[in-house]
Amino acid sequence: MNAAPGFTVEDVSFAYGNTPVLQHINLTIQAGEFLCLLGPSGSGKTALQRLLAGLERPASGRITWRGAAVTGPSIERGMVFQDYSLYPWMTLVDNIGLALELSDPSLTKAMRRERAAEYLAAVGLQGTGRQYPFELSGGMRQRAAIARILALSSSALLLDEPFGALDPLNRARLQDLLTAIWSQATPRRTVVFVTHDVEEAIYLGDRVVMLGSSPGRVIGEVAVPFPRPRRRRELFTAPEFHRLSDTISDHYHSEVLEHIHEAWTMTGLKEGI
Amino acid sequence: MIEDTIASLVQVPVSRPRERTWSFRIPGWEGALFILALLGLWQGITTWVKLPNPALFPSIPVTLRALWSSLPELLKGTCYSFRILVPGYFSAVALGILWGLLVGTTGWLHRTFSPFARAAAPVPPTVFIPYAIALLPTFRLSAIFVVFIGAFWPVFINTAAGAAAMPCRHRDNARILGLSRCSYLRRVVFRAALPHIFSGMGVGLALSFILLTVAELFGANAGLGHFVQYYADFADYPRMVAGIVFTGAVTLLSMGLLELVKRRALFWVR
Repeated sequence: MNAAPGFTVEDVSFAYGNTPVLQHINLTIQAGEFLCLLGPSGSGKTALQRLLAGLERPASGRITWRGAAVTGPSIERGMVFQDYSLYPWMTLVDNIGLALELSDPSLTKAMRRERAAEYLAAVGLQGTGRQYPFELSGGMRQRAAIARILALSSSALLLDEPFGALDPLNRARLQDLLTAIWSQATPRRTVVFVTHDVEEAIYLGDRVVMLGSSPGRVIGEVAVPFPRPRRRRELFTAPEFHRLSDTISDHYHSEVLEHIHEAWTMTGLKEGI
Repeated sequence: MIEDTIASLVQVPVSRPRERTWSFRIPGWEGALFILALLGLWQGITTWVKLPNPALFPSIPVTLRALWSSLPELLKGTCYSFRILVPGYFSAVALGILWGLLVGTTGWLHRTFSPFARAAAPVPPTVFIPYAIALLPTFRLSAIFVVFIGAFWPVFINTAAGAAAMPCRHRDNARILGLSRCSYLRRVVFRAALPHIFSGMGVGLALSFILLTVAELFGANAGLGHFVQYYADFADYPRMVAGIVFTGAVTLLSMGLLELVKRRALFWVR
């Protein structure tokens, strides 16, 4: 992997009103890296994503993308939201066409339609271009959201628990779809993938960064040693996978348990767990 | 190729596309039965009950005959009324939506305009009628103005509320895409606020009819409201009742038309 920095996060803190959300975050994400952010709810994963996207500004500290400070949102850094990022009043082709229109204004309408149909086919949604998001299942909608983000031709993809609402089968399919798309593009896009699922983080990521909660901070990181392409069945039965997963879980859960313990004693229970 | 690799990973069940059609909701038999019962009651009272002043209560056949004979006049009156209603209502809708979208999405505009809107919107527009008639050169202009005032506030208030209530992700999405302000308003906020806009337009249209007929009672020499007032002055109650029924039908038809447009435009709302 080359060492060109994608994102750098330098001593960033962030708050919603008076509630601190992130404290002193330091993180470097290489260009082309697939980074998974792992953390419980309230660890500021989403806030960190929004800061990387430029949708929010840090209270202190600095974020750069390819060496330049992030001052606002840009089509360069595409984001897929937890709840699907499609406009419900547009067909899939129009949703993707809108992304194309803004990423490449020179395209004609006919070219955009054609290109949109290609992206839909690329995520396995051939023939659904004239449908509206409400006509699709959750899995199909999220797949369309990925087709849309491909149309942005963003060099960074910020994915905020994109598969969180899906059933295990669709989830596995979309994980494989995402890695296929990511690994076949040259140069590779920088991906920041937020999840609270340890196995998903290991399966997808080059590196897993763990966040702790209240307020959010980095509590550890692990480089994932498994070569690509990764095969789900082999990986999930390998002892190394489980050792890594246990290490991360122990670290992650000790943090969570500590907080649960605090919460219990705080609510007046005489004995903690 | 990449497409094939990926297509092989996913198998998609394609559901049947929903059509975006013009469709009316057919009322159920209960509603029809109730209306029939009311008509029966009307006919029964006018034929069998001894009323103190029978001239005030024309029966259904008498009313229908009056309706039939004054149909040309009523149609002409409708045209006249619509030449007030259409410009007044549609200019209110256009301006109300435009201004509502701007106020609903711009912090400083909202802070500047809302206190005034809160004070001005509840003033019953009927109180402007005498002043408008005195102020503006023709009756039509003053009636258009009053209809405009009446329809503007509901459209504006609902549009602004709809724009403000838009889910954040639509805005975030537009920011990431880098939409210009104008296309953001037109392609995102307007569409997202459309359910609210239509309810504002419904209230505005109903109010427009009320104001139109009230204004015509005051000072018109034609139109639906004038028709009713005119025959009431002559104590020609069959024609007056026919005028009321006809005005009701015109209102119902207009509201139905709006409902039709709404159902087509809001096909994506679940």
